[in-house]
Amino acid sequence: MPDKNFLNEDQRDCLQELMNISYGSATAAIADIINKFAKLSIPKITMLTADDFTNYIENKVEDYPACYLVSQLLDGQFSGENLFLIDEVSLKNLALEFDIDEEDIDENELKDVVLEITNIISSSTSSKLAELIDTDILFYPPNVDKIESIDNLDSHYTTDYQHIIVISTMIEFEEQNISSELIMMLKNDSIVFLKEALDNILEEY
Amino acid sequence: MNSIENNFIFNTIDNGIIVLDENLNIKVWNRWLELKTDIKASDICEKNICEEFDYINKKRLQRKIKSVFVTKNPSFFNADPHKYLIKIKSNSIMGKIFKYMRQDITIVPYDIEKKLVCLYIYDNTKLHEVNEKLKKLNEDLKELSTRDSLTGLYNRRFFSDSSPRMQSLAIRHGHDISLIILDIDNFKKINDTYGHAVGDKVIVSLSNILQNNSRKSDFVIRFGGEEFLVLLYDASLSFGEKIAENIRKTVENSELIIKDNNIKYSLSLGVACFDEKQDNNLESTTNRADKALYKAKTRGKNQVVVSL
Repeated sequence: MPDKNFLNEDQRDCLQELMNISYGSATAAIADIINKFAKLSIPKITMLTADDFTNYIENKVEDYPACYLVSQLLDGQFSGENLFLIDEVSLKNLALEFDIDEEDIDENELKDVVLEITNIISSSTSSKLAELIDTDILFYPPNVDKIESIDNLDSHYTTDYQHIIVISTMIEFEEQNISSELIMMLKNDSIVFLKEALDNILEEY
Repeated sequence: MNSIENNFIFNTIDNGIIVLDENLNIKVWNRWLELKTDIKASDICEKNICEEFDYINKKRLQRKIKSVFVTKNPSFFNADPHKYLIKIKSNSIMGKIFKYMRQDITIVPYDIEKKLVCLYIYDNTKLHEVNEKLKKLNEDLKELSTRDSLTGLYNRRFFSDSSPRMQSLAIRHGHDISLIILDIDNFKKINDTYGHAVGDKVIVSLSNILQNNSRKSDFVIRFGGEEFLVLLYDASLSFGEKIAENIRKTVENSELIIKDNNIKYSLSLGVACFDEKQDNNLESTTNRADKALYKAKTRGKNQVVVSL
């Protein structure tokens, strides 16, 4: 039976701290790339089982006319999939921060922006995390889907993963705040590896 | 850059390789690209990629390259949404869905100090063609599974699958949804008198009347046998009642001539409007409309009854 408390309290605190650091470097990277000042709220960590996942996404998708879901496969000792979920309104605001003219914003532009932002956040956070827990990660090209209803959600998310970590954040730009979620879908072996790595860090400090 | 240009792997690999500097000047152009584009490395090296291929979005490419330098991680240009970086005619043998090669591009740091990045261009045309065909087949299959084969109208499965989404949309936008459930009076008698083939023609004829009496935003559904449902989006109960009455009158005044037989028939109709206070979902509204239809039958048929 999958357990949603697959990390104990110490491991969870440790992961929260690691995510603060790695999300910080992702925010700094975004700010540098688009030449804008950006600030990050403290990421909130939630753990889910596969059963909770569909409801979680359904609730998110129901709140908005459309959301964009980007997935990026990760390989190596820390393998699985990073998902990035953002609603269409936040994504349009983000596109404006990327200095894309309002009249040029169409679905293709939005897809490009969300792919790019996911790549930056996913690679910055996961490679920072990998560095902190002393391993290497291989990144695959991200794919994007526009999700207008839970029916559009690929079924493999609920069959392939038993352990899911949701990292919710708010990136604050001068003009607007953009809320988004990075969702780490981890293979069973990776959870074992992550727990060991977190325990090692906890022992060291 | 001489070392890489003479490299065996670089010149035999089955994908394109370009090395660019931070100003987007081409430093290296491999043999695969020479063959696919008919442009020699000696003719294109040191030239600006966006000037040579003016369809490339310069701002976007610069941003992706900057992202590689900042994160020191790969950046990706997907075929979707970009389709290609360098326009190369597709030589696919799979039916030529795409005129140009669909490419996925990975940009990796090549030499951070010298501000050089390497672009790997992968030909994914075949994969995208297979995906495109699968997508089309899935759409056809989905369409088939939600349609009634006799009338071409949506079927009950469509209603079950779609009603939660329609309900959410209506609540979000503050719109009413009214439902009309209707049934042909004495349909068994038509079948028994004229045969099932004529019965089928009556069903098809009614489906045309229903479509002609509803708006593009409405859904006409064959619920089963001689029972139909019309879902009226953004429609109050009184509007639903008006449409139901129009349908009833149209059927009452219509004559269906099949093999010299003048077939007259009538409808009983029940109308209900989705009400969050009394309905858990659209299925509950359907039940109320069904009860109203039952009342119409018991009160003598050929009439509309509204559920309040």
